[in-house]
Amino acid sequence: MSYFFQLVTSGIVVGSIYALSALGFVLIYKSSRVLNIAHGQIIASGAFITYALTVWMGIHIAVSFILSMIITFFLAMSVERVFLRRLIGEPIISVIMVTIGLMSIIDGIIYMTPFGSENFSFPEFLPKVPISFWGISISWTQMVGVVITFIMIGAFTWFFKASTVGISMRAVSDDQFASMSIGISVPKVFGLAWATAGLSAAAAGGIIGNITGLNFDVLHSFGIIVFPVVIVGGLDSIFGAVVAGIIMGLIQQFASGYLDGKWGLNGTADVLPYIILLIILLIKPHGLFGIHEIERV
Amino acid sequence: MAENRWLATGNFFTSYRAEQRIFLTNIDRLVFTCFLLLLFVWPLVFEVSNKYMLVIDTILIAIVAVYGLNLLTGFAGLISIGHAAFVGVGAYTLATFARILGSDHVLLTHYWPLMILLAGGVGAVIGAIVGLPSLRLKHLYLVIATLSFQMIFQWTINFSRFYDQGQTIAIGRVFWFAGKVTRKQHYFFWYYVILLVVVVLGFAVRNLLRSKHGRCLVAVRDNDRAADAMGIHPGFTKVYAFALSGFFAGVAGALHAYLWRGVGFESFTLHHSISYLAMAIVGGLGTLVGSFFGPVAILMLELQVENIAEFVGHYFTAIGDVATAFRPLSFGLVIVLFLMFEPRGIANWWRITRTYFKLWPFRY
Repeated sequence: MSYFFQLVTSGIVVGSIYALSALGFVLIYKSSRVLNIAHGQIIASGAFITYALTVWMGIHIAVSFILSMIITFFLAMSVERVFLRRLIGEPIISVIMVTIGLMSIIDGIIYMTPFGSENFSFPEFLPKVPISFWGISISWTQMVGVVITFIMIGAFTWFFKASTVGISMRAVSDDQFASMSIGISVPKVFGLAWATAGLSAAAAGGIIGNITGLNFDVLHSFGIIVFPVVIVGGLDSIFGAVVAGIIMGLIQQFASGYLDGKWGLNGTADVLPYIILLIILLIKPHGLFGIHEIERV
Repeated sequence: MAENRWLATGNFFTSYRAEQRIFLTNIDRLVFTCFLLLLFVWPLVFEVSNKYMLVIDTILIAIVAVYGLNLLTGFAGLISIGHAAFVGVGAYTLATFARILGSDHVLLTHYWPLMILLAGGVGAVIGAIVGLPSLRLKHLYLVIATLSFQMIFQWTINFSRFYDQGQTIAIGRVFWFAGKVTRKQHYFFWYYVILLVVVVLGFAVRNLLRSKHGRCLVAVRDNDRAADAMGIHPGFTKVYAFALSGFFAGVAGALHAYLWRGVGFESFTLHHSISYLAMAIVGGLGTLVGSFFGPVAILMLELQVENIAEFVGHYFTAIGDVATAFRPLSFGLVIVLFLMFEPRGIANWWRITRTYFKLWPFRY
């Protein structure tokens, strides 16, 4: 039984990180209806910036964590300004392909740095002894990561619900023309959405980097697993992203804990999210918490 | 009115039939025939090394695959980031036969045209199955559905013992009228086969788009509610588009398997899917000529980039791995620049040049 609870715990840990990764994705989609394929790369760059600040420049990790969030904030904002501002009003495929192009460009830039080919790991700054209770053990890094994740998610939810900027973002996502007419600058909101997404991506990157170590391929895969999470949760729902993130985390842990090695199956954790994604799409086409689009001819 | 079929002095169509003609004037037809002849004859005149023939063959196969993607994304408006997986379905159809019957079984070596068609058929069936969610899904959700097909395909190949965990599965040399195709003739032989496939399928696509079965795709792309009102079932049309694109991809996959004499997992990854999409976009979505320009441009670019990276790598050994960095960087830049400055792709340049020469010496 403790094996089961261990799986549940690690599932929640992984799942909450998925949720944080998906958060930035949902932010961008919610305000500008852009599917940002390059999100995994932004997460990776956030993680690498945190590492560079901590280890190469010797800044304390808490400070560098916040610094990297600020840097990525402006980085994502400039990405939006340079590449996506021109494409407002273009067909969806152009916008998606631009983010795919961005993905390649950021990949290329990362391959030029040592991070592209080598593995790094953050220095240990928390107690090494894991926390144990009821036969479940969870490392301090994971614990702190989860706590930060939930704080961030809470902050973003508040930001969207109550702050002026958040409300204007929601207004823009609802109707661009109407929000323009009441004095909201739509391009500015798009920029801010990308910037906040970059911020949350950097946070996710920092946490993932601390838990799994810095490997570009691993960080890449976090960018791809975001898709099943956001689709299952519904593309425009923050709450949905959190629930779906945790569901996906649990499914992956159970799959690798119980399914692998039986009936000749292996690596089921990599494929099960996608199968579940397809099934949920067939039953509920807009995800669990997504808003049904009403179309007019 | 007796019209001169050699010259077109303006738009004087008196029937829909006349407007739908493939070749507007006999000059067009003549130029096109000469061009085709040139394509078939040039390898006989010039001596081409195997290395270059392989590049040309690869480009031609990519053209076949991009036909399918262009039909799906350009004409039916359904974005697919899983096209390489469909190509992989075609290739792995052959691999399945090779694993069960042995790589030199008579079915694979003698009846290869049949096998290529069969691979196309399997691709179409799988395409239709993957397209089934489009009965209910739209836009972005569908994109992710194709992505998940790509991931499921990769997993299936990577973790199944039957497919040797994605290791290369050999496919034997084929026979034709003059006996076995030897190592020396291999790329030469497949150049002609693939060229024939490209030409035949090109005409097929062109004719499809002139008929109601092609026009329904465009109708659904432009407005599926309106298409519904016109009596076209949007869901069925989308599934049909997926099946069509799966057929082309399957044929391309089978050709790929025969050309490389083996099927390996690493030719059908997500990266390749994105590559196909880039080819379709750089060539020009929703145009047939775009399907030719795109693969040529992207694959030539990749080749050049490798050369440049090798050159640069000699001088700047300090900067990480320049060769691996250059490829995604240039690839991404090309996509982004094209979308920002020439969203209609190279096909648009082609159109501009053509009209220029047609109207010459007048401006417009």
